[in-house]
Amino acid sequence: MDPNLHVQENYANPKTCFFHVLFKAAALAFYILSALFISNFVIIFVMTVLLAALDFWVVKNVSGRILVGLRWWNEINDLGESVWRFECLDQESLARMNKKDSWLFWWTLYLTAVAWTVLGIFSLIRFQADYLLVIGVCLTLSVANIVGFTKCRKDAKKQIQAFAQQTIASHVSSTIQSAFSVV
Amino acid sequence: MSNAHHHSDTVPLHASSQSDIDEIEDLIFASVQAGPATVRPAPPVSPPRAQIPAFPSTFSPSYIPTPPPIASSQKPMPVPAVPPPPPLPVSSAGSGIQNDISAGGFGSAPSTLTEPVWDTVKRDLLRIVSNLKLVVFPNPFRDDPGKALRDWDLWGPFFFIVFLGLVLSWSASVKKSEVFAVAFAVLAAGAVILTLNVLLLGGHIIFFQSLSLLGYCLFPLDVGALICLMKDNVVLKVIVVSVTLAWSSWAAYPFMSSAVNPRRKALALYPLFLMYVSVGFLIIAID
Repeated sequence: MDPNLHVQENYANPKTCFFHVLFKAAALAFYILSALFISNFVIIFVMTVLLAALDFWVVKNVSGRILVGLRWWNEINDLGESVWRFECLDQESLARMNKKDSWLFWWTLYLTAVAWTVLGIFSLIRFQADYLLVIGVCLTLSVANIVGFTKCRKDAKKQIQAFAQQTIASHVSSTIQSAFSVV
Repeated sequence: MSNAHHHSDTVPLHASSQSDIDEIEDLIFASVQAGPATVRPAPPVSPPRAQIPAFPSTFSPSYIPTPPPIASSQKPMPVPAVPPPPPLPVSSAGSGIQNDISAGGFGSAPSTLTEPVWDTVKRDLLRIVSNLKLVVFPNPFRDDPGKALRDWDLWGPFFFIVFLGLVLSWSASVKKSEVFAVAFAVLAAGAVILTLNVLLLGGHIIFFQSLSLLGYCLFPLDVGALICLMKDNVVLKVIVVSVTLAWSSWAAYPFMSSAVNPRRKALALYPLFLMYVSVGFLIIAID
């Protein structure tokens, strides 16, 4: 009996998952609840945008790396051009990533963007331009992360294909070379 | 080999087989002598090898926060150096760990697993401070504006814009929320529009680098607004605002002017001065 098959799959990184969800939920909750209790718009704005920015940083730098093994950033090369880098782990490590972790990662990412859009529609209906500003900023941050990580995944697949082709090519050439050396 | 067998399915490895792989890896490293720092403590549930990067060609030296203790001659490790046939964790992890150390971003992962947040936070904070020093204070790099904000980040600008909005809102006696919203929107939209302006004039700047620069150049105005908040004298306000305005413009000038054709320099710089002057008026006029 192979005990591996019967192991209940749990979150491999519970702390990271917690933080991943914490700031998103806090930003949404603060925004929704504060509109009921706090009348000062400035506080609502600053706290919500701060929480959304912290969430962006946590997802981009910490949970993206640990939960799904993807990372993206922008850098400026020596020629002064801007280059976007998308990085992923190798195939084996990707296959080894915890399924529950990555499920949580992607679903919360998409759900927050949807939630912010819905809230935006509400404030649009109520003609509240300043709340729309808050939502605009938060939505931009969520969408940026979604786009970045989705491109990472696509890039990952492309790179894996290229790598596979390259290894096959080099393997073939090395076998040919060794065949020639024997002759 | 049972390890390869565990590999072919996608179920995450059980802890015991994980440690088997570790032992085998350590043995192979001991024999290959890959280097002293590759030996890491036995990983917990989430293995540090999960941080092993696969494609060293995508790593750039600029992302290394501190010089790695191992010989950095390992840095340009080309992909074909990976022995092709066995897709076992050993071989990929072997080259991966060597690249792990040289690579910086993913490579700092072993230490960041133990302190994930703090190290990255420190690195980002240091970057904010160094960017601020590069942009706002006199330094030898001002002659080459392209190098100035190579490592751009938007955290500094975010803090400065929010701080300026807060100070303006605090010093307003009525309509505090509107003042904040207007200040934030004007500054954010102004930065975007100024960047678009330069791009439309046929200049060569990078969007985020320019946003970052314009945000950092708000630092003198932040200082000016803070001083005006504390002392309510109109003459003092005018003097302080003029000085900080000049300082902001001096900080932003080389970057903007070098980005465009010399004949269009004035077209690129005029909106910049306009925005800073209007923010300055906002600071003076608030009572």
